[in-house]
Formats: sequence, C-alpha cells, structure tokens
Amino acid sequence: MKSRLFALVLTSVTGLALAQSPGDRVPSVIIAPVGNVELRAGGSANLELDFRIGADFHINSNKPKADYLIPTILKLNPAEPVTLADVKYPAGEEMSFAFSPNEKLSVYSGDFAINTVWKAPATAPPGTYPVKGELRFQACDRSACYPPRSIPVQFQVTVVKK
Amino acid sequence: MKRNAVVFVMLAIVIMGMLAAGSYLDRSRKHGPVKLIGDIHNVPAPDFELPSLDGRKVKLSDFRGQAVLLNFWATWCSPCKIEMPWFVELQKQYGKDGLVVLGVAMDDTESAKIAEFAHEMGVNYPVLLGSDQVSDDYGDVRSLPTTFYIDRNGTIVVKAVGLLGRQEIEEDVKKALSASYKPAKAQPSRAAAVKTTQTKEAAQ
Repeated sequence: MKSRLFALVLTSVTGLALAQSPGDRVPSVIIAPVGNVELRAGGSANLELDFRIGADFHINSNKPKADYLIPTILKLNPAEPVTLADVKYPAGEEMSFAFSPNEKLSVYSGDFAINTVWKAPATAPPGTYPVKGELRFQACDRSACYPPRSIPVQFQVTVVKK
Repeated sequence: MKRNAVVFVMLAIVIMGMLAAGSYLDRSRKHGPVKLIGDIHNVPAPDFELPSLDGRKVKLSDFRGQAVLLNFWATWCSPCKIEMPWFVELQKQYGKDGLVVLGVAMDDTESAKIAEFAHEMGVNYPVLLGSDQVSDDYGDVRSLPTTFYIDRNGTIVVKAVGLLGRQEIEEDVKKALSASYKPAKAQPSRAAAVKTTQTKEAAQ
C-alpha cells in the first residue's frame, strides 16, 4: 500500500513538473525493449520492432500522401557480417483532420510495428553483433506540427552455428 | 520505508527544480534580455535580419509603422498549408491599411524547395529563411504554425500557436492594425507586460 502511494505521488510530481502548454509539447515516440535476436549462420530471422506514439499525436507513415510530407524511416546499421535483408513498414491509417477535413493523410498513431529480416552468411563466426540506428519521424497533433526528430534504435543480434 | 519515500519524493522535487532553473538560466545567459520567455503579450518584438527567398536581407524594424503578421511555418506542416491562402487574401485586403505578412520558413532544406512550395501556394508576401536564433528569440518556436501579430509600434499584440480559424486570424490582424503609430513614445515595459497572459493556443 505504501509503495503504491509512493509511486502515485512520484508519478504526480513528475507529471506536474513535465506539464507543458499544448504549444510547448514535444511529441514522443518510444520503442519497446528488443529481446535477444538469434540468427543461425547461413539463415535468416524476423524481428518485429514495436513503437508507441504519444497520445494525441500522429506521425506520417512511410508512404505519406504528398511529396512535401516527411515519411517515417527506420535506418539500421548492423555490424558485419550481419545484414538487414528487408524492412516492412505497416500501411498507414488514412485519416483526415480538422485542419484539412477534405484531405486524407496516411499516418501512424498509437502503437505500430516495423518488421525486419536479418541474415548472416554461412561463414559468419558465432558471436554477438550490435545493431545501431534510428527512427526518423515528423509528428503533428490536431492543430500543429513539430520539427522532424529521431530516436535511437539499438539492439544485438546473436549469430549461432548452423 | 515511509521516511525513505518522503526523502525520495523531496529529492525528486529538488532535482526537477534545479533542472528547470538551470535550463532557464542557461537560456538567459546565451541570449540576453531580447529572448521572449513564457506568455507573450504587449512586449516588443525582437528585431531580426533574415534572408528572403529573393536574396534580400529583411529586418523586422524595416516595417516599423506597419502592422506585421509574422508567421512561422514549414513545408512539411499541413496546418500551415491551410493558413497560407488566408494570409494571401489578408495581405490583399489589408495591405492598403498597412498590413505586412512575413512568412518565416523553418525548413531544414534548400531554399529552392521552399520557393517552389511557396509559388505553388500562390504566396504573395515575403518568405524569409528562418534560423534557430530567430526561433529562440521568439520563445523557442517548436509548434508550427506559430504566428505573432505585431502592431505598428513593433509590439506583439497576439501570439497564436497552432491553426486557428480564418475569422479569428482576421480579428487578430485588426488588433495589430488598430494601434496608431507613435514613433516618439517609449515601448511598454517588457517586465510588466510578461505578467499578462494573452497567448492563444489552438484547441487541442
């Protein structure tokens, strides 16, 4: 009971400290912890990366409907000899907003997942290989947009023997 | 356990207070008194000199005696795109009364792309290339669109964050135009004016 009360108080204090007026808000996108990725030498493995967008915000999908909009892009750089074979973005949700009721935008909101496929050559020595990269996005809410931002994406791929 | 919890909460409050104070002091040191902090109304608009798309250097103070609608926008901002035709109309309608619309593009891209976008939108007012400095001077403009309505004496009368309606924008233009030009009179005290809250936030 005491620990719950403590958590509630701490959460409230933190929330008050971070409270900002709508115009000063910073859109948040976070990535869920990535588990251990095991990849057999000479084989491939799928990895789903899960992201969550802060309430009231949306970001453009990977294929926004206009050239002037900034797409969401995942860039990942694995350590050799691991390679990123494919990146599959989810389809955007077609939504119209009060600021443009006649125009539908392709966006992500709430939770979304990007699927990746990883490969290692048959000659890859067993071991752990770091993958570093970023998710770049540009967010808006119902009346304003915010400059493009990137969040780091980092995890490890473990290559095991065939 | 109870004592530990109280100590921890107090520690959290102190740390957050120190972080907030540190951030404020750091900004003050970097930019001096011209930077606008907090809600903005009846404060002198910070002067700037920015390049325009047609290669000129444009200073805000060049427009003293005229009302200025200073609109921060970007090509990737859909709500900004909605406002631009309204600004074009307002420039036509109120230009003869002394209104000057200035767009400040906050894109991190080459000016040719901004010019192409502005041309497609039929923009009939100067578009300036924004900088981190001017954003900072105007209170760290993060949300776009953000529009400052500046009267003929260089005083900010309204700050509007986010997309507002056409009618509300026109009302704000009228407010900016309503003050008569008083070149000899002193500007209102910024310290006193900052206490007044008139910043608008679009309904979220």
